[in-house]
Amino acid sequence: MDRITRRSALGAAIAIPAAAALAGVAKAAERTEIEMFFPVPVQGMLANKMKELIDRFNGAQAGVTVTPVYTGSYDDTNLKTRAAIKAGKPPGAVIMSANFVREYVINGDVDPFDPIIEKEGKTPAAYFDAFWPALKPNAVIDGKIYGIPFQNSTPLLYYGVDAFRDAGLDPDKPPATWIEWVAAAKALTKPSGQRWGLMFPGTYDYCGWITSGLVMANGGQYFNHDYGGEVFYDAPSALGALRLLDIMVNQAKVIPPGVSDANGCTSAFFAGRTGMMILSTGSLSFVRGNMKKPYRVAFLPKSMRNAAPIGGASLILPKGNTPERQAAAWTLINWLTSPEIAGEWSRFTGYFAPRKAAYDLPEMKKYLDQYPDAKVALDQLRYAVPWFDTYNTVAVRKAMEDQVQALLSGKVKPEDAIVAAQKNANELLRPYVEQTALKPLV
Amino acid sequence: MRADGRLLSLLAVSAAALLWAVPFAWMAVASLRPGIPADIASLTPAGPFGLGNFVEAWKSGSFPLWYLNTLIMCGGILLVQLVTISMAGYAFARLRFPGRDLLFSAFLLQLLLIPPLLIVPNLATLVSLHLYDTLLGIMAPYFASAFGVFLMRQTFRAIPRDYEEAAMLDGASIAALIRHVLLPLARPGLVAFAIVSLTAHWNEFLWPLMAVSSPKNQVLTVGLASFASGAEAGSAWGIVAAGTFLVAAPLLILFLIFQRRFVSSFVLSGIK
Repeated sequence: MDRITRRSALGAAIAIPAAAALAGVAKAAERTEIEMFFPVPVQGMLANKMKELIDRFNGAQAGVTVTPVYTGSYDDTNLKTRAAIKAGKPPGAVIMSANFVREYVINGDVDPFDPIIEKEGKTPAAYFDAFWPALKPNAVIDGKIYGIPFQNSTPLLYYGVDAFRDAGLDPDKPPATWIEWVAAAKALTKPSGQRWGLMFPGTYDYCGWITSGLVMANGGQYFNHDYGGEVFYDAPSALGALRLLDIMVNQAKVIPPGVSDANGCTSAFFAGRTGMMILSTGSLSFVRGNMKKPYRVAFLPKSMRNAAPIGGASLILPKGNTPERQAAAWTLINWLTSPEIAGEWSRFTGYFAPRKAAYDLPEMKKYLDQYPDAKVALDQLRYAVPWFDTYNTVAVRKAMEDQVQALLSGKVKPEDAIVAAQKNANELLRPYVEQTALKPLV
Repeated sequence: MRADGRLLSLLAVSAAALLWAVPFAWMAVASLRPGIPADIASLTPAGPFGLGNFVEAWKSGSFPLWYLNTLIMCGGILLVQLVTISMAGYAFARLRFPGRDLLFSAFLLQLLLIPPLLIVPNLATLVSLHLYDTLLGIMAPYFASAFGVFLMRQTFRAIPRDYEEAAMLDGASIAALIRHVLLPLARPGLVAFAIVSLTAHWNEFLWPLMAVSSPKNQVLTVGLASFASGAEAGSAWGIVAAGTFLVAAPLLILFLIFQRRFVSSFVLSGIK
């Protein structure tokens, strides 16, 4: 036996991955091999479930082998996908946060699904009719399908039954309007932080999502759903929404000051330290599994109308794949979004299944009977509104989030916050606007 | 007067140590508590305690594979770096050649580049070298280290030339000179660099996430993120803490074992 020298150890370190890579090439001759990038915005439990699903897919047909690649948070997945496309190694498919799809279209980094759908003899419009209509604005862009919705959510009002009874409120009648909401939060609040009336995650991403929901519930549009160069941050509907937050945090003091994150909200909710919280329907299974005391869920209260912004993720086709790899990705995407699999993923996670037919299956009907909270989440879809997406989505979203976070810390008044948010957003949008809506005509 | 000063600095050092220790202590406590306790923030909870979180964390990932990959990655980077930085450090410290100082300044400019800027160009290079999605691909961009070269140059320059002159009189070649005379004398610098390099690459997340896709090439940090990052739901803190502990454990143990040598290396090499 040779003594293991430093050099041979290093040689082995280099040789092992190289050999593995060669083995990968040899197998590709029989089946089309693709990778699918996926973020899992919850625990490893879901990552394992996704791997199990993909194993089943690989075993169920002979033409395609998919390697599921866990790629971190939604933002990390976005970064990795972009880098991989630029480096010429695009994955076959990606589960991408639905509000990033528009930017991929603007940057020319995705292929539309229309040619593949047409090849199967269907019209793209008819194909998309199988999905909930509220999902369309984030998936169908400039008249073409760029995203196939996979897991979707809306914000939901969670409330503790014991806390409601304790505060003299009727758990069968959750607050339905903003006026009732403020009153309920006041009744629930106990002094010196023993119990807050309401909590919600004010961290980036969540903050913008919930703010947009409040603005839309106040009758507003928040952003232009059809054109990525406009936001309506300084509209009266936005001012009203920020005033609601200002009253709840800084005047009535029923929301803890400062920015809470999702973990803080769920921990407080489980411990009975907040009577209500706003959280994604995608957290239903997590809350159901960890909340020891009885809780219920309700629609987000309305001001001018009921509204709940869509969240979640869609499958996209990154640019730069060969037709065979696209066909392989399509096989996978069809399987993953089929009513059976979409329904199974929905029951496992709490996300709602984007394909309407999933809810016609007997397992799904049984599940909804068993868990009324999932039924409420589904019913709220009637009021679903599109998710914020513009040119440079994250930065433009942050222009408002920074102001809302400052408001939550009592550092800015609603009137000033909306002006500053609009001004910053306009600056960020200007390069795109100048190339599009304001492009020189002569 | 002097006693007062010492007391003050002792207090300051203790305060800093406490600041560092509290999150760590909390992680240790939280990792031992099952479920999601109501007083999760508490440092001195009443119990119950158990190792269930560690079992669950271990089961939700392929830790043995991640440990192996991380070891190969960090070890591979370090081995190559030690060779390149001592040779380049020697060249910049001792050899005379035209444009040496200019070249050295250019080399140091690397320190000013923020790594995320290089993700796409580096990935493109990996793809053309057929190293995309390999462990070697994660390692390659780090084989040369501007910081290491700088450190070794300074270390070599601090060694009196008398040793080298004596060795040269005895007929030593440059290679023998570096290997038998300079490197043993530069050991504190090498050890200090090794610690910095190991911890940096052990903890690195973004680049391994970008460079590697196959589960078989996954490293610890990326693996941990699969159950530690919760965007939409809350996290099971106990499991996250246990997983983080598993990731940090090898470095911690290493440090405890070699504590004395590490500290003296840092003092001698001037890194603080």
